[in-house]
Amino acid sequence: MALQCRLSGTTIQSLKMATTIPISSSSSRLIFRPLPKTLNLALFSRHTLPKAPPFTLLVRALSGAAVVAAPATEIIDNKVLKPQWKAAIDFKWIRDNKEAVAINIKNRNSNAHLELVLELYDKMLNLQKEVERLRSERNTVANKMKGKLEPSERQKFIEEGKNLKEELATLEEDLINLRDELQFEAQCIPNMTHPDVPVGGEDNSKLRNMVGNRREFDFPVKDHLQIGKELDLFDFDAAAEVSGSKFYYLKNEAVMLELALVNWTLTEVMKRGFTPLTTPEIVRSSVVEKCGFQPRGENTQVYSIEDSDQCLIGTAEIPVGGIHMDSILAESSLPLKYVAFSHCFRTEAGAAGTATRGLYRVHQFSKVEMFILCRPEDSDNYHEELIKIEEDLFSSLGLHYKTIDMATGDLGAPAYRKFDVEAWMPGLERYGEISSASNCTDYQSRRLGIRYRPSELPTTNSKKGKASSAPTKFVHTLNATACAVPRMLVCLLENFQQEDGSVIIPNPLRPFMGGIERISAKSK
Amino acid sequence: MATTIPISSSSSRLIFRPLPKTLNLALFSRHTPPKAPPFTLLVRALSGAAVSAAVAAAPATEIIDNKVLKPQWKAAIDFKWIRDNKEAVAINIKNRNLNANLDLVLELYDKMLNLQKEVERLRSERNTVANKMKGKLEPSERQKLIEAGKNLKEELATLEEDLINLRDEVQLEAQCIPNMTHPDVPVGGEDNSKLRNMVGNRREFDFPVKDHVQIGKELDLFDFDAAAEVSGSKFYYLKNEAVMLEMALVNWTLTEVMKRGFTPLTTPEIVRSSVVEKCGFQPRGENTQYVAFSHCFRTEAGAAGTATRGLYRVHQFSKVEMFVLCRPEDSDNYHEELIKIEDLFSSLGVHYKTIDMATGDLGAPAYRKFDVEAWMPGLERYGEISSASNCTDYQSRRLGIRYRPSELPTTNSKKGKASSAATKFVHTLNATACAVPRMLVCLLENFQQEDGSVIIPNPLRPFVGGIERISAKSK
Repeated sequence: MALQCRLSGTTIQSLKMATTIPISSSSSRLIFRPLPKTLNLALFSRHTLPKAPPFTLLVRALSGAAVVAAPATEIIDNKVLKPQWKAAIDFKWIRDNKEAVAINIKNRNSNAHLELVLELYDKMLNLQKEVERLRSERNTVANKMKGKLEPSERQKFIEEGKNLKEELATLEEDLINLRDELQFEAQCIPNMTHPDVPVGGEDNSKLRNMVGNRREFDFPVKDHLQIGKELDLFDFDAAAEVSGSKFYYLKNEAVMLELALVNWTLTEVMKRGFTPLTTPEIVRSSVVEKCGFQPRGENTQVYSIEDSDQCLIGTAEIPVGGIHMDSILAESSLPLKYVAFSHCFRTEAGAAGTATRGLYRVHQFSKVEMFILCRPEDSDNYHEELIKIEEDLFSSLGLHYKTIDMATGDLGAPAYRKFDVEAWMPGLERYGEISSASNCTDYQSRRLGIRYRPSELPTTNSKKGKASSAPTKFVHTLNATACAVPRMLVCLLENFQQEDGSVIIPNPLRPFMGGIERISAKSK
Repeated sequence: MATTIPISSSSSRLIFRPLPKTLNLALFSRHTPPKAPPFTLLVRALSGAAVSAAVAAAPATEIIDNKVLKPQWKAAIDFKWIRDNKEAVAINIKNRNLNANLDLVLELYDKMLNLQKEVERLRSERNTVANKMKGKLEPSERQKLIEAGKNLKEELATLEEDLINLRDEVQLEAQCIPNMTHPDVPVGGEDNSKLRNMVGNRREFDFPVKDHVQIGKELDLFDFDAAAEVSGSKFYYLKNEAVMLEMALVNWTLTEVMKRGFTPLTTPEIVRSSVVEKCGFQPRGENTQYVAFSHCFRTEAGAAGTATRGLYRVHQFSKVEMFVLCRPEDSDNYHEELIKIEDLFSSLGVHYKTIDMATGDLGAPAYRKFDVEAWMPGLERYGEISSASNCTDYQSRRLGIRYRPSELPTTNSKKGKASSAATKFVHTLNATACAVPRMLVCLLENFQQEDGSVIIPNPLRPFVGGIERISAKSK
C-alpha cells in the first residue's frame, strides 16, 4: 500500500531553493467546489452572507486539520440558512474574552465575523428573556382562568391568552432563526492558539528540532520516479488510462515496502499503548464537517458520492473522530489512544505544478494515523508525546528531517497548535512534509459532541456505585500522522539509493519484508 | 439449509447506480434498450484487479441528439464467428438465462455488410467519375460528370452516416451476448452446479456455537454501531487483534501467491466508469500473472435479509485478487492453477467445497467459474469465500488487449525483424486469493473455543507477531 500523504496545500514555491512545501492542513489555500456564478470568491476573504440562497463560500484546507470558514447549511423557504448540525460553542466565554478572540482571528487571517457573533448573541439573550417573560405571563393567565370567574372577566383572559400565544409563537420562531444564524456565524470562529505559537505566515514558523544531515552523494542523484522506473516499482501511465492523473500502481518490492511500512508503524505505535483500528473509508458528510473539513467548497479536497450524503475520507482522523460522536465518556476511560490504518482519498483540486510530480501528490494513498481523546489538562502533554513518537519513527528509519512549530497563519481552524515534520528528499531537492501533529483541544469535540464525566472524589459518605453527578466537560482531541506511505516511499527511495541503481532497505523494515536488504534491478 | 450466498465478481448480482424510474431492473434479465434515452442499465462487478475494468452486460452509452444510442466504447466482437456458430450461440444464451437478441444482431450484421458493399460501390463510382474528369472533355460532358459526382457525393454522405449508425446499433446489441461456455460446465441453475472437491469436515462442537458477531463483541474486535452512525449500515471498524488478523491475512496471502510467481500490485480504487480502450500489447506473448491488494467498495443494493449479518455482506473490504493474462491455448490450464489457491484455505484449516458453477450462475464474461464455499458454523451455512473465473477473450475484446505471437526462429529470418504474425486477443482470468471479511467470519467461527477465545491458525502466527490466540481483554 503506498500512501501519498498530501496533507496540505499552500501556494507552490519556486524549486530553486530547498523550499519547503507545506502539506499541512492550513487555511492558506481556499479550495472551492464549483459554485454559482453569483458568488464572489477571494483568497482569505469571507463572503458576506446574503439572506437569500444560494450561498456556499467554503474554505477548505485538508490535512490533519482543516479550516472552516462557512458551515454546511440547509436552505429552508428562502429564509435564514439552517445549520445541519450544531456545535456546542461557548458564547459566554467568547464574549468575556473578545479581545483575545479578535486578535486570534486576525493572527490566523480568518474572516470570522466576531462583532456580528457578539451582536447576535446579545440579541438572542434578550429575545430569550422576552420569550420567557411572555411564557410566564401566559402561565399566569392560564392559572387565573382556573378559578371561578365572571363571564366577562373570563372572556378578557381568553383574549389575552390568545394574544400572548400568537406573540409567543412569532417570537419563538424568531428565536429559532436567531439561534441558527448565530450558530452559522460562530462556527467560523477558529480555535484559540497556544501562547508559544509564532504569529505570522509560513516564514514565521519556528524550528523545533532537526535530526540528521543531508546525505552527500558522490554520484548523480535520481528522483524517486526515475528510481521507480528503473526498478519496475510503479506504473503511472497505466493508472492514467484506467483512472486519471495522480493515480498509480505499486509493483513488486514497492508493494512489500508499503505493507512493511504500515505493519511496522502499526506495531511500533501499538507498543506505545495505542489501540489499532481499521476504519470505514466512506463517511457521512456531516462527520467530515464536524471534524473541521468542508466537503462542499469549491476546490474541495473531498470526493463526494453522487445522490448521497456520503464522502470518501481524506484521513482516518475523520472516522476515528466519529467513533465517540455524541457520547459521554467516563473520565477513567481517558485517554483513549487509537492508531488507525486506512486508505485516504483527496481531490487535490487547486494543486498544480512540479510539486505534483510522481508520488508526491496523489489522489489515493495509505496512511497510519494516531488519534487521542483526553482530558483538557493533558492535551499539551499528549501533543508532545505524539510528536516524539513521530520523530522516533523517522529517526529509526534513518531519515534526515526537521520539526516545525507552525505559525498562526498556517494553522487550520481546528488546530490550537501544530507541529509539522519535513524530511529531506534529495531527488526532489527539497524538504517535503511527511507528517503533521495537531492539538485540536475542544474544537472538534464541541462539534462531534464528545464529552466526559469527571469522576467524583471518593468520600466516606458517597454511596457505592452512585453515578458521578459532576457536570460533563468536552474532551480534547489530537491527531498525528504516523506514516503517510507515498511520502515515505519518496524519502526511502531517494535517500537510500545506491550508485548501482539499487535501494537499501532500512533495518527496521527488513523483518516485515521477509528479510530482504535491498531492492535491485530485475534481470530481464 | 446450507444455502450459498455468492459474492463472486460475477454478474450474478446486479449493482446499480441510482437510475431513472423509467427503467425496469431485474436480476439476470437484460432490459432491452429503448431507442430513446435515458438508458443506463449497468452491471458492474468490482474486483481488486483494476487491471480489468468494469464488465458491462449492457453497454454504457452516450445519447446524441435523441437518436440511436452511441456506445461509449467498442468491443472487438467476432461477428463472423457468431454468424457461423449461431446455433451454439443461441443455445448458450438460453442456458445462461439471458435475453441477448441474437437474431437482431445477425440481422443488423447482414444489413451492415450489405450497406458496406453499397458504400464501397458508390465510392468506386465516385472515383471513376473523378478520374474521367481528369481528361479532356466537352463542356456538356464535363457538366454531366459534375452533376453525377455531386449526386454520388450526397448519396454517399447519407449512406456513410447510416453505416455509422448501423455499426453502433450492432455493437450495442452484440455487447450483450455473453461469453461462450466450457463444454464441461453443467447446464441449469444453482442446483445444477457440480461439486469438484470437498476438503475437511464440519467441526463438531461440544458447546454452544456463537456466530462471528457475538464473538467479535465479546473479544472487542469490531464496532458496527459506531460505524452505522459515522457511515451507515454495513460499515464497520475492526479493532485490536482483528486488525492484526486482517494484516496477517493480506500479508500471508500475498507472500504465498508471490511464491507461485505472481507479480504483486496495489491498484487505484477509483477508476473511470467508461471503459477506456487500453491498447495493450503483451511482449512476445508472455503470460502475465498479477496478485493485487486493494480495498473494494460495493453498494450491495438489493441484498437484504439475514444473509447480510455482520461481516458477511459489507460495503467496504480488503481483498487480494489474482489476475492472469495468457495465450488462449493456456487459459484452461491457468484456470486449474488458479483454483489450486484452495491450498491456502486448506492450510488455514478451513473446511470448504469447490463448485463448478452451472450456466445459470455464470456472469456474462465467465467461460467457466469455480466457487469455493467454506463452512461457517455460527451462520450455519456454507458461504462463498472465493471465486475463480476464466473469461477467455470476453474482457480482452473490450479492453483491447492483444498479443503478437512470436515468430518461430528460423535461419532465414533477419535479426531484429518484427514479427509479422497477426495479433490475437489474450485470455484473462481472475480469482479471489483472500476476501478478508469472509475469512474473518470463517476463522472466528471455526476456531472459537469454549472459553470464548479464538485460536489463530499456524500459518498466520508469524504475521501477527507470534500470538496464538485471541482472548478476552481484562477490563
